[in-house]
Amino acid sequence: MILASLITYTQAIILGLLQGVSELFPISSLGHSVILPKLLGWNIHQNDPYFLAFLVATHLATAIVLLIFFWRDWVRIVKGIGRSLRDRGIDPDDTDAKLGWLLVVGTIPAGVLGLLLQDPLRHAFASAKSAAFFLMLNGLVLFGAELLRRRAPQVNEDDDARIARTVGWRGAFGVGAAQAIALIPGFSRSGATMGGGLLVGLSHKDAARFAFLLATPIIGAAAVLKVPELFGHTGDGIRGQALVASLCSALTAWFAIKFLMRFFETQTLTPFAVYCFVAGAACTIYFFS
Amino acid sequence: MLPPMRNDRLLVGLAVLAGIVLIVIAIVYWVEPAKSLPSFFPGHQAGSAHHHVKHGIAAFFVGLAAFVFAWFRTGPKRTAASPS
Repeated sequence: MILASLITYTQAIILGLLQGVSELFPISSLGHSVILPKLLGWNIHQNDPYFLAFLVATHLATAIVLLIFFWRDWVRIVKGIGRSLRDRGIDPDDTDAKLGWLLVVGTIPAGVLGLLLQDPLRHAFASAKSAAFFLMLNGLVLFGAELLRRRAPQVNEDDDARIARTVGWRGAFGVGAAQAIALIPGFSRSGATMGGGLLVGLSHKDAARFAFLLATPIIGAAAVLKVPELFGHTGDGIRGQALVASLCSALTAWFAIKFLMRFFETQTLTPFAVYCFVAGAACTIYFFS
Repeated sequence: MLPPMRNDRLLVGLAVLAGIVLIVIAIVYWVEPAKSLPSFFPGHQAGSAHHHVKHGIAAFFVGLAAFVFAWFRTGPKRTAASPS
């Protein structure tokens, strides 16, 4: 039967484990999910509808993990937004409300650009060759963000208060819009937002936190809108594999967030930049040779 | 240059207008298939019966954001941190 061989359970487990890590590490999950099947000789293509539905299920799992991990923050943020709507303004001391609206301002351009550009960009850059090349460029983008980062004075407030005071409305819009680059396989959404966060003056830890908060609604919304396809004809033959992959993705996503939040207390984007550049260059040479 | 108060009212008026237009656009996306959308709408495709639900959702939320902007601008004046 042809359907049974679309994605095997072994492939699903590997892709799920990889997705959970690569979605949150600034190394492009989409790029890796295009490059890895090609490297391993799997007959999986990025634009196949069943594979997109499969990937979306793993994205949903990642979004749910992000939501759970930052649940208390989200409760405070949503309450802050509610307070500001009631008061018809943002109190200068209400950093939860400010952060909430920064996330809204950052999500709007990402959502609009995503809707307008998703299909044309995915079709134009669907090959593993282009994904490998853009992964290399992603490394350069991360390097660039490290070189050009603005070092704002760090104050001893809690994390969200510090983010709310450092990031302005234009900065949030720009960081949000930068997520659109991740529509091209090889470029990383979290890399773009972390890099953007550094450019507007956030520390590495705060940039990672802002990137994860910003990622939750956009990944979650995209996944929720696409997941119904899994229950239709598109999902025939891959529902079980998608479920297994989602559980694997959730597991690695949880550990990835915990790891990154500690990692960025002292470290920079440079190791990820080196990895992306070297892996992207090696794969580019391999695919073209 | 317009005095600040008139400038503010103009901005609020434009935001409300943008909000209404965007919500109308959202309804058009939800109701009409791709083939019946005006040709200048993103997603217009001759002969396609597909409904661009996501385009509608995006237009709706941006419209909502325009209303929220107008809501804040007509609220009591604050010294800092009002979204503008």
